[in-house]
Amino acid sequence: MTILFVVLRVLGNPVFALISVGATDAEIAAAAARLGVDRPIWEQFLSYVGQLLSFDLGQSFTNHLNVGDEIVRRLNVTLPLTMLSFALSVLIAVPVGFFAAWKSRTWYGTAFSAVSQLGGAIPVFWVGILLVAVLSLGWRVFPAGGFPRTDWDDPGAALYALTLPVITIAIVAGSDLARYVRSATLDILGQQYLRAARATGQSFATALWRHGVRNGVVPLISILAIQLSTTFVGAVIIERVFALPGLGDMLLVGIKEQDFPSVQGVLLFSTALVLVLGFIADVLQRLIDPRLRDSLSGNRRVKAAA
Amino acid sequence: MTSRRLTRYLAAPAMASAALLVLAGCASGDSSPSGSGEPDAAAEIVIGSQNEPTNLDQIFGGSSGVTEVFTGNVYEGLFRITDDAEVEPLLADETEVSDDGLVYTFTLADAAFHSGDPLTADDVKYSLERFVGEESIAARKNQLKVIDSVEVVDDSTVAVTLTQPSISFTYNLGYVWIVNDEAGELTTTADGTGPYALADYRKGDSITLEVNDDYWGEAPANGGVVYQYYADPTALNNALLTGAVDLVTSQSNPDSLAEFESAGFQIIEGTSTTKELLGLNTRIAPFDDVAVRKALYSAIDREKLLDAIWDGRGELIGSMVPPSEPWYLDLADNNPYDPQLAEQLLADAGYADGFTFTVDTPDSGVHSTVAEFLKSELAKVGVTVEINIITDDEWYQKVYTDKNFEATLQGHVNDRDINFYGNPDFYWGYDNADVQTWLAESEAASTVEEQTELIAKANQQISDDAASVWLYLNPQLRIAAEGVTGVPENGLNSLFYVYDITKA
Repeated sequence: MTILFVVLRVLGNPVFALISVGATDAEIAAAAARLGVDRPIWEQFLSYVGQLLSFDLGQSFTNHLNVGDEIVRRLNVTLPLTMLSFALSVLIAVPVGFFAAWKSRTWYGTAFSAVSQLGGAIPVFWVGILLVAVLSLGWRVFPAGGFPRTDWDDPGAALYALTLPVITIAIVAGSDLARYVRSATLDILGQQYLRAARATGQSFATALWRHGVRNGVVPLISILAIQLSTTFVGAVIIERVFALPGLGDMLLVGIKEQDFPSVQGVLLFSTALVLVLGFIADVLQRLIDPRLRDSLSGNRRVKAAA
Repeated sequence: MTSRRLTRYLAAPAMASAALLVLAGCASGDSSPSGSGEPDAAAEIVIGSQNEPTNLDQIFGGSSGVTEVFTGNVYEGLFRITDDAEVEPLLADETEVSDDGLVYTFTLADAAFHSGDPLTADDVKYSLERFVGEESIAARKNQLKVIDSVEVVDDSTVAVTLTQPSISFTYNLGYVWIVNDEAGELTTTADGTGPYALADYRKGDSITLEVNDDYWGEAPANGGVVYQYYADPTALNNALLTGAVDLVTSQSNPDSLAEFESAGFQIIEGTSTTKELLGLNTRIAPFDDVAVRKALYSAIDREKLLDAIWDGRGELIGSMVPPSEPWYLDLADNNPYDPQLAEQLLADAGYADGFTFTVDTPDSGVHSTVAEFLKSELAKVGVTVEINIITDDEWYQKVYTDKNFEATLQGHVNDRDINFYGNPDFYWGYDNADVQTWLAESEAASTVEEQTELIAKANQQISDDAASVWLYLNPQLRIAAEGVTGVPENGLNSLFYVYDITKA
């Protein structure tokens, strides 16, 4: 955060985004004073930290809107977009990944994993542009972009507006995730405990459900957490392609207008979100897998002994 | 796989697509309004634009976006500048000017703000003082610095005293909003006297204007307007193609025009005031030499450039003045395209072997394309151009503020900005005492004829001196769906009056 704070201020002067050709030096100086960017950086930083401690993200330089309120408003778009894309990508990835692992020795199993490799390698905005070209401009079945001005008052319209962006992100994120699911499944399928379970007379499905899933889900959780963060980032990019007024738009416009409080606010929020997701994933893993809990307490015992 | 089998594999998706197309066709056919072609007075017009205001207050930001959405629509000035660049009274019902040209007394129209508060002389005093006040960084503040004092005579009469006569005073007032003196913070709200009131402001998305039912003037021809903003030009074009917006205020990419034209859209071409120019730092060698500047000018095939950038639309100009201004002279051939002449001029100036210079090129818009073109053109006469791409920010610091450059590209958007050549401290440093005198005298002129004559003289002189290389005048291109009428053509300085727009 500190680095970001300094870099933003070294790279540009927000005053230049506000003035136009013809402004005098005195006017430029007055505008800088009004924004507070004429003060030394350390002083600006201290007052920013002071603000943060009172849960205030400050006011936008350009439009004077409260950055915190603005982030909350933008989450109306970005949060559903992220969650829906994530849910859809899991829905795609789990069966595809599992199938690709299960049938890994057949040609179609290989084809499945090849397609998922390919899907994960395509830039998300490119998928978006392709889908717009075909489904919006060509077939006119979905809007090419935009979000209802009434937000979620009409959930149907809002969902309709999000359909293409969600599909776009889910294709890319889902392909990525499918590869993880595939390798996790391959891992499980080769495990001794599964063979042992089969040997006790359990069917393949029962054995997989009782032992495999529980074991496989633990590493998957941390991947899912990372994937959720990636989906969030993907959402931020795709908002641009689909002209959605979410956090990504706020960030990009903020950078363009040198609106430091907005840029800092969005990045601070995103960083916090990623940290929280990581934390939740950790807790979940420990709840599911007793070994992780043991290792933790084991460490403590070792420390106590030392 | 044989070709026949391949066909079979492809046939199914193709048929599915065809079926979907038919479905989609039916769907859009059903939803389209009656084909009567009669304009619908209640229709809401959706305007697509890339020019989102940074905030809603004209004194806190030089963004032309706020002019586009608010001036004349939500806020009104004492005067209105028409689409043909004429000045006509708006909130100033009557104007009296003292004999010495220093005191303007305005009688106000019987208008009220959206909040219901009536328009009074206090509001005008507040608005004018706010515009030229210390806090203001309004784009046109300097032009109104001639205001010495504003005095309230009575509720509906206000007297403005100037420090010196200013013949453009009423014209310049056309850009100044009269705001309610009790409105408070105007960066996110608005209270004007215009035909529309601000209904909704969604930063990063849209601004919705609703019809002001109590408007003091003639009612608008539509049922309200929405400005829908797009950061990405492709997203904007897609919105127009899919019917999400009815028109776009400015099309900056001529490549897509053919697609719109063939799809039945109207291409509306007006004249703009945006001049693409190669600014030369005339303080330093070799650009302090007129011959060198003229040589550069003559070495560039501007016709070819205009074709390449704007597909032949737009205009060639030979000076800072576009045809929409009273003191326009046809100077397009004053410094003709003639590489031989260019070589001759360079040799006369002592640069027979050419020279090298750096052009600071903003990374926005078409500048880098233009820079590449200049580089290849000037190479033909032995002049080497080094292109230095910078951000708009750096431009303001390095070129505009520090004046630390040799040459630069810039699009100058304002109307009547020939005055920049009367200021030797301006970034390009053009310093001609005659031009300064003429421009200063023109502002103090007592008649428009006198003013016109003086500025025309300055106009001729800067062109003769090749003070800058004026490459071309941008066209003003708007695209509208079929059935949309009443769209302003020229849009001087981003003015965009929406009250006449209708759609069928």
